[in-house]
Amino acid sequence: MPGGGRCPDCGSTELVEDSHYSQNQLVCSDCGCVVTEGVLTTTFTDEGNLREVTYSRSTGENEQVSRSQQRGLCRVRDLCRVLQLPPTFEDTAVAYYQQAYQHSGIRAARLQKKEVLVGCCVLITCRQRNWPLTMGTICTLLYADLDVFSGTYLQMVKLLGLDVPSLCLVDLVKTYCSSFKLFEASPSVPTKYVEDKEKMLSRTLQLVELADETWLVTGRHPLPVITAATFLAWQSLRPSDRLTCSLARFCKLASVDLPYPASSRLQELLAVLLRLAEQLAWLQVLKLDKRSVVAHVGDLLQHRHTLVRKAFRDGTAEPDALDAREKELQGPGQGQGWGKEDRGDGSVDLPAGKRPASPALLLPPCMLKPPKRICPTPPVSTVTGDENISDSEIEQYLRTPQEVRDFQRAQATRQAATSVPNPP
Amino acid sequence: MEGEETYLELFLARCAAQDDLAPPRSPLLSPIVPYDVYVPNSSNPETTFNSQLEEVTETSGNFSSVDLSFLPDELTQENKEQTVIRSKHETEENGKTKSWQRRLPLPSQQDVDLALNSSGGSNSHSHLHPGDADSAQPSPEKPHSLPLASITPMTPVTPVSECSGIVPQLQNIVSTVNLACKLDLKKIALHAKNAEYNPKRFAAVIMRIREPRTTALIFSSGKMVCTGARSEELSRLAARKYARVVQKLGFPARFLDFKIQNMVGSCDVRFPIRLEGLVLTHQQFSSYEPELFPGLIYRMVKPRIVLLIFVSGKVVLTGAKERSEIYEAFENIYPILKGFKKT
Repeated sequence: MPGGGRCPDCGSTELVEDSHYSQNQLVCSDCGCVVTEGVLTTTFTDEGNLREVTYSRSTGENEQVSRSQQRGLCRVRDLCRVLQLPPTFEDTAVAYYQQAYQHSGIRAARLQKKEVLVGCCVLITCRQRNWPLTMGTICTLLYADLDVFSGTYLQMVKLLGLDVPSLCLVDLVKTYCSSFKLFEASPSVPTKYVEDKEKMLSRTLQLVELADETWLVTGRHPLPVITAATFLAWQSLRPSDRLTCSLARFCKLASVDLPYPASSRLQELLAVLLRLAEQLAWLQVLKLDKRSVVAHVGDLLQHRHTLVRKAFRDGTAEPDALDAREKELQGPGQGQGWGKEDRGDGSVDLPAGKRPASPALLLPPCMLKPPKRICPTPPVSTVTGDENISDSEIEQYLRTPQEVRDFQRAQATRQAATSVPNPP
Repeated sequence: MEGEETYLELFLARCAAQDDLAPPRSPLLSPIVPYDVYVPNSSNPETTFNSQLEEVTETSGNFSSVDLSFLPDELTQENKEQTVIRSKHETEENGKTKSWQRRLPLPSQQDVDLALNSSGGSNSHSHLHPGDADSAQPSPEKPHSLPLASITPMTPVTPVSECSGIVPQLQNIVSTVNLACKLDLKKIALHAKNAEYNPKRFAAVIMRIREPRTTALIFSSGKMVCTGARSEELSRLAARKYARVVQKLGFPARFLDFKIQNMVGSCDVRFPIRLEGLVLTHQQFSSYEPELFPGLIYRMVKPRIVLLIFVSGKVVLTGAKERSEIYEAFENIYPILKGFKKT
C-alpha cells in the first residue's frame, strides 16, 4: 500500500484498496477494519496521512462543469436560437466556449467578460461558416460595449489560435438589404417607394463592388457603405420620385438604423460616380452634379469596369509608366472627349480651361486629402546620452524654499475649504 | 591599442569570407555597401568605410574604462572560426535581409548594459567583437555600423532598388531605470515644479522635463519609467536628468539597470495597400477587423515586432527592444506590401 498507512486497530501495514458498491475503501487485510471510506477526490501524497485533499487541489475542477460555465453554454445556445442559426452552428459554438473555458485567464475573468465571450463564440462560428453576422448586431443583442467585445474577441482568437476568415461582403449585402422593409406597400411606405427586391439587391451589389474597387471599403466599417449603396440603388431605380427623399428618411421608412458614417460614404460614392460619368461621352455634355448623376447610375454601373480603368490611373504610376494597353484605352477615350469638346464648344459652355484631364488618382480618400501637417524628418542628432547635465537646468524644475512654503500654505487652505463643504 | 587591430582583422576577414570575388588580402579597396542606406544623408560608400575606420580608432580609446572581465577569453577565438564558417555557408544568400536575420538574436542583458553605457562606441565595439556573435548581435543602427552585405569590387550586390530606401522614424522610446533608493513621493511632489502626484488615481509621481521632451513615472520603490524620447540616447539623457532632479531633492539616487523596454517607429510606403488581400495571403500573421480597427495588425515572428498597416500606406512598428529590429521588420514587410501595390 503506497504511503505507508497503518491500521488503527491492529497496527498492520497491510492496507488494501477495495471498493464496496463502487465506494472506495481502504481495508486492513488482517483485521478487516475499514480505515477510510468515501474519499471522493483524488488524493496526492496526503493519502499516506489519510487526509482528504481540498477540491481546489484536486482535479475535480477540470472534470466538472462549473455553474458559470453551464450558464454560459446555455446562453450560447439561446443566442444561436435567437439568431436563427442552423443547428450545426450551435454545437460548434458550444465547443468553442468549452475550449475557451479551459484557459485559466478566461475562467478567472469577470462575469462581464464571460457574457461577451458567448457572443465571441457565436461570431467565430458564423464567420467560419460564412454566415454574415456583424459585431454590432451581437453587441446590441448582448447589451455589450464594443470595446469590451473587441478585447475579448481578439484575446480569444489569439488564445485558441483560430483562423477566422473576414466578413463576406456579398452575403452581408444580401442579408442586410433583405432587412429593409421596402418590398411591399404599407401605411408608412407609399407605393412610389416600394421596390422590387431582386433589382435592388443586384444594383446594391454592383455599387458595393464599385466601392470596393475604388478604395471606399478597405479599412472602413462595412455596414455604412452598404447602407449608402442601398440608398443609392433604391433612388436610382426611380429617380424622379425618390430624389426628394433623404438618406435619414429612407432609413426611417425602411425601419433600419442609420449608421453615422453612411452619409459621408454616400458622398464619396457619388464623387466616384461623377468621375466615371466624365468618361461617358453622352454624359459629359450634361454637366452632372451629385443629384443628377443618380438618374444615370444604371448606365454607369453597366460599364463600370471599363469606366474605372479609364477614369482613374494607378495611384503610383507615372504618366509615362502606363503600359501600352492602358494608353490605348485612354487614347480613343480622350480623343473622343477632345473631339466632343471641339465640336460642341460653341453650344456647350464648358468652363474655360476644362479638359478631360489626366485621369484622377485611384486612391483611398484618406490619401487624397492634403496632409494635415508636414512632419519634417528630424535631423540626425549627435546626442550620446552621456552629456553633462548643468545644475541650472535641473534647478529650473525645483521650487525655492519660499515657493514651497507658499505652496504648502495654499494646499492647507484648500484642504480647510474642502473639509467644510456646507457652511452653516 | 593592439586589441583594435585584432577586432579589425576579424571584421575584415568576415566580410572577405562573404565576398566571393574580392581577395581577402585587400579588403580596404573593396567598396562596402554600408547600412547607411538607412540614413538619408549618406552617399559614398568609401567615405563611409573610411569614417568607419576612424570611428574604430576613436572608440577603441573609450574601451579603457569598460570592464570586459565577464567575457571569457576563449570566446574570441572559437567564435571567430564559427563566424567564418557560418559566413561561408551564407555566401549564396547575399541579400541584406538574410544578413540581418543572421545577426538577429537579442543581446544579453550584460551586453545591453554595456552597449547602453557607452552607446555610440559600444555598438561598433560589439560588432568588432565576434565573440558575442552567439550571445549578442547588437544593432547596426549607426551609420558607421559595419555591414555584412555581400561585397564585390565591381558593384554593390545589394543595390538601393532592392531595399526600400525608406527609413522608419522612431517616434517613442520607453525605458526603465532603477534609482535604487526608497523615495518619498509627497516630498518630491512638493519640492519639484514639474511633478504631479495624485495617489488616489495612480501610485506614482508623473514628472516632465522640457529638454528632451519626455515624461517619467517615478515610483516609491525607486523604479522609474521614462517615455516620450525620440532616440535611445535621448531616452538615456532624459532618464539621467530625472535621476539628477531626484538627487537634488535629497535622495541618494543612483542610475542602475537602464534598459530600453519598447521602441515605436513609423513610416510611409507612399502607395495604398489592399488590406483584404494581405490578410488572405498572410492569415497566420495578420489580423484585420475593419469593424474594430481600420488597420491591419501584423505580428511578425522574426523579429518579434507588431506592425500596424493602414490602407494609406502608413506603417507603425512597435515592440522592438533595438532599433535594428524595427529596420529589419520594415525591410521584411516592404516586399510583401509591394506585392499588393497594384489594384
